Amino acid sequence: MRNAIIVEHLGKLYHRYHTHKPATIMEVVLSGFRGLSAREKFWALRGVNFTVAPGQMLGIIGKNGAGKSTLLQLLGGVGIPDEGQVKVTGRIGALLDLGAGFSADLTGRENVFVSGVVAGLTRREVARRLEQIVAFAELEDFIDNPVRTYSTGMGMRLAFSTAIHTDPDVLLVDEFLSVGDLAFQEKCLERIRELKAQGCAIVLVSHSADQVQKLCDRALWLRQGQVVAYGVAEVVAGQYLSEMRSETQKRTPPRPPQMTKGGIELRLNENRFGSLEVEIVDVQLLPTSHINSGDGLIVEIEYSLIQPIDAPIFNVSITQEDGQVCLNTNTQNQGILPLFLQNSGKIRVSFERLDLSGGKYYVNVGVYESNWTYTYDFHWHVYPLFVQSKTKQSGILNPPCRWESKNPASSKFKS
Amino acid sequence: MFKIMSLLSKSSQKTRKPFRWRLRYLYDLLRELVLRDMKLLYKRSVLGLGWTLINPLLQLAVFAFVFQAIVPVNIPNYSSYVFAGLLVWNWFQNSLFQATGVIVNSRSLIRQPNFPVAILPIVIVTTGLIHFVLALPVLILFLLIDGIKLQPVIFLLPVLQLLQFILTVSFSYFLAALNVTFRDTQHTLGVLLQLFFYLTPIFYDLNSIPKQYWYIYGLNPMVHIITAYRAILLWGTQPDWLALFIIAMITALLLPFGYYIFKQQSHRFVEEL
Repeated sequence: MRNAIIVEHLGKLYHRYHTHKPATIMEVVLSGFRGLSAREKFWALRGVNFTVAPGQMLGIIGKNGAGKSTLLQLLGGVGIPDEGQVKVTGRIGALLDLGAGFSADLTGRENVFVSGVVAGLTRREVARRLEQIVAFAELEDFIDNPVRTYSTGMGMRLAFSTAIHTDPDVLLVDEFLSVGDLAFQEKCLERIRELKAQGCAIVLVSHSADQVQKLCDRALWLRQGQVVAYGVAEVVAGQYLSEMRSETQKRTPPRPPQMTKGGIELRLNENRFGSLEVEIVDVQLLPTSHINSGDGLIVEIEYSLIQPIDAPIFNVSITQEDGQVCLNTNTQNQGILPLFLQNSGKIRVSFERLDLSGGKYYVNVGVYESNWTYTYDFHWHVYPLFVQSKTKQSGILNPPCRWESKNPASSKFKS
Repeated sequence: MFKIMSLLSKSSQKTRKPFRWRLRYLYDLLRELVLRDMKLLYKRSVLGLGWTLINPLLQLAVFAFVFQAIVPVNIPNYSSYVFAGLLVWNWFQNSLFQATGVIVNSRSLIRQPNFPVAILPIVIVTTGLIHFVLALPVLILFLLIDGIKLQPVIFLLPVLQLLQFILTVSFSYFLAALNVTFRDTQHTLGVLLQLFFYLTPIFYDLNSIPKQYWYIYGLNPMVHIITAYRAILLWGTQPDWLALFIIAMITALLLPFGYYIFKQQSHRFVEEL
């Protein structure tokens, strides 16, 4: 089968300028035309080779600045390679900055027409798909309202729906999985799988190795513009993850064991991991660490740090003794505005109710670098949580439940 | 059923004539983007498109007052004379000014795969042309009030508009590209355009330019373009074909070069981290 995307020896040269590069005509004249030429050049991408066949999905992983976005742009025909070549056959669709092209004062319908045509459809083609697009975005009742009255989620849904209904032969996706609520995300994934089954070649840029592992057939790992690994998604994503872990270990300072306020010993690389740039000083389970099934719980994390840190991510999970994860939440997927930490403080997460079966659990808390690149501090199986339950349950969940019989003939239970 | 339908549409997609489809597509794209700009203008102010007419009319009122009542200028049919000049100049000035910022303001469009970026200045100049055309009835009204008899040369109007259109687009390509490197290009241009407003015969007579300055003064292409418009609208004479031909030739040289730089710079702009 012919490949939909062929990339050969691709290289892209970037120019780095003086920090004082004049940015205005006035400054150029005043500086006597100095500093206009690039001080140094560097390869944002070099020697990249890969192919994507129709119906295949390639994941591109790597840290920020590894060249992922540059690669995606070159695939989309934005920018000209300095070396090698990119061949893409068929219509290219893209999920990039969803909703950024919308005009707030125009209605949803008008915006769909504009972005549909911008994405490469003729007016008539957009008109033919309009109903499908609106139905998929679940915005039938709002489509004639101005987009400024939409919530962020609604706007993203409409943008996603428009982009995905352009019948692309090649789809470029940039970190898309934050579209709307969970149900809608699932729908988006379903639609992407459908496109894939229809023979669409997909390239997904992500810094989540998990996502790539789950969705992609193959993966390409970039570091500073170079390919570190290219192959089966599970293998490459696994390699990437293990390097991230060793990155965390490399950054872990040697330090004697510490005690928590609750009297449990914290030993580095045993039940505590991380670079300790942010330290979790104490974790309180409120009201107590012994709760009844269905009670609420507040996890309060006290932290301290020496240097201010921008946009860290806090994570709280509850696991069983064998490591089975029952619950996992973080400040990033809850859509909380990026935090900026200075000195010390507290952050808490409240669960309205925990319908866990009776037994012993652990609350694990962690704080991570803003891109999940490495761990600042992570406490694993340090804080026990005991759940009491009146009924015996064998599963994880124990929500309030009630049995009812709907068949009138047998509605009376024999006692 | 749906699957079959989508398969059918897929196969028909591959058999359609690429070139004709491409033309159709570019037309649709231009239309959608122009419509968007017009609608936004409508929705943002109560007067909407009226503004594009009120502005030159107010300017005209001021000029008529200054140069008829305070410092009398001897130009026949002064209001028609000035209004024609104002419409042509405003189209040129507004389009050029807006188009200069077009790369910097259209990041999300430029990032779209295979988006024909070169259409962006064309969208702006087309929007300006539509405003110009919408104001034409008012101009005709002025001509009739002044008792001017329209001559058949008026049918050359589209030719002049086309020339001005291409000239403005060519300049726009250069200026928008320059604005990527030097973000104050737009401000600088605003000042320059204001100066050139006075260096173009909009509210005064071309014949009052002293002979020795003519060679420099005449380098401004808008001098000839505005004069050509007046020739066909007011005076019913043939425009200065030689001047127009030279402008057309220079434009033909500038356009491909500007187009190239514009594309290059717009790509560079989205690459910047």
